[in-house]
Amino acid sequence: MSGPFDRTVVWLTWRQLFARRRLWLAIAFSLVPLIFTVFYRFASDDQAGARIGFFSGMSRELVIGTLVPLAAALFGTTAFGGEVDDGTLVYLLVKPIARWRIVLSKYVVALLSTIGVMVPSLVLPWLMLRGPELSFDVLRGFVIGGAAGAAIYCALFLSLGLKSRRALVFSLLYVIAFEAVLSRNLVGVKSLSVREFAVAISQAASNGALVLKGYVVPMNTVWTMSAILLIGALVISLRTLSRYELAERV
Amino acid sequence: MSAAVAHSVELRNVSRWYGNVVAVNDVSCSLAPGITGLLGPNGAGKTTILHMMAGLLRPSAGEVAVDGVAPAGNPDIYRTIALVPEGEAVQPFLTGYEFVHMSARLHRLPDAPAAARRAIALVDLEGAQGRAVSTYSKGMRQRIKIAGALVHEPGVMLLDEPFNGMDPRQRLQMIDLLRTLAQSGCVIVISSHILEELNDLANNVLVMVAGRLAASGHSREIRRLMTDRPHTFTLRSSNDRALAAALLGDESVFGVELAESGLVVRTKDRGAMTRNLARVARDGGIRLLEVTPTDQSLESVFSYLVDR
Repeated sequence: MSGPFDRTVVWLTWRQLFARRRLWLAIAFSLVPLIFTVFYRFASDDQAGARIGFFSGMSRELVIGTLVPLAAALFGTTAFGGEVDDGTLVYLLVKPIARWRIVLSKYVVALLSTIGVMVPSLVLPWLMLRGPELSFDVLRGFVIGGAAGAAIYCALFLSLGLKSRRALVFSLLYVIAFEAVLSRNLVGVKSLSVREFAVAISQAASNGALVLKGYVVPMNTVWTMSAILLIGALVISLRTLSRYELAERV
Repeated sequence: MSAAVAHSVELRNVSRWYGNVVAVNDVSCSLAPGITGLLGPNGAGKTTILHMMAGLLRPSAGEVAVDGVAPAGNPDIYRTIALVPEGEAVQPFLTGYEFVHMSARLHRLPDAPAAARRAIALVDLEGAQGRAVSTYSKGMRQRIKIAGALVHEPGVMLLDEPFNGMDPRQRLQMIDLLRTLAQSGCVIVISSHILEELNDLANNVLVMVAGRLAASGHSREIRRLMTDRPHTFTLRSSNDRALAAALLGDESVFGVELAESGLVVRTKDRGAMTRNLARVARDGGIRLLEVTPTDQSLESVFSYLVDR
């Protein structure tokens, strides 16, 4: 098969990610912002400027700051981690498929799944609130920014899933300790925070419709750091898989 | 079956250690088409050897070659090699058919559905192929794993404890299947910790003990080595001392010791000793209370082969 992905690995990873209750969890994840929006719509007075304030605040904190990293942690670490845990990775390893193709196939499924959770979590609230002040440009900004954040998170968590058996715990710790607490409160750490990159990209992709409050990481830093993290993480996954050894307990 | 090339597996002075633990110690062997048994107690290094042959582990020292090529880091070799790993791990959410079909597709076979159906028929699981693997019995999982492994008609098949969980009828059927594959030029390696499983199946048995190759030969010869080794019995009788004196006259006995637990007797020929024992006791008017073989454990059998 030509192309960078192996369709069978994609199919298998898809089945793994959504086996058991994970599909329902993903749907529940993606509906949380809609529930907040329903409350907002019926419980608050609708003043000028309030809608875009509510929508961008929620998209920034809840979607990009929480849902995207959590979904990426879940899908990214499970894409390899599930097979490492139950010992079925061996069935992929003894097939004549280039290792980079396995890594890219798993990566693209984790990424698409994360984006699949993210898109309804942005689009549904936007549909409820849309109007002259909350234009499509704002939605597009957050979708692009969130997708960029998902791309980096998934690459990071994919390699973690190969490296450690406690990848999900580590990735949640990272999301909570670093992204939710440290980088929110220390400006110096913002230029290392994937969440802040995603926020900066959202603003840049909104055609000027979105002007965010507070410090926004300059785009030069965003592109450089994103490229380093994304490519670095994928290379680590590839190297780890190429050298993967099945250890026997002795 | 790719019969054009004569398939081969070669190990040259192969060792493998994990940190300070030596799992495989200086093993050399050369395997031709046919069935080779890898026999040894748990922890002897059988799985490590199979994984090195399958390219999933790199040897710490020495060389592994499958069809003349080092398998580690060379995914193309899996067009030739098939591995049936130990344990029951199969993606539980797949059906039997999906599992084998997936294997065929990962091998990029031109007609994957037909190859999958053929492999499933070979292991006689057509009736259960539509069911999720999580509902399978142990033996069925073993068979579906084997179907997944032979879907691309490999030239080298490595099976780690494949008979675990199979009932006798399934085992016989599997033996037939493996024989047919071997006759068509496939190098088959089967690991087991039970000699009886390899009886009459493997023309060549490699005995592994504590990471070393302790003996090799036809299964009949290995069995003879194992039964002709010195045996130890512990006896209790109405008069141990008199029995000891009488037994020393028996040629098959080469050691007698009066211990607290009773009389410890060492013999070279277990059959002759047990036959003579009854006669000697009757002639001396001694009543036998207990006859216990003391070294029947598999480990003692294997360690004898190492010390030999």
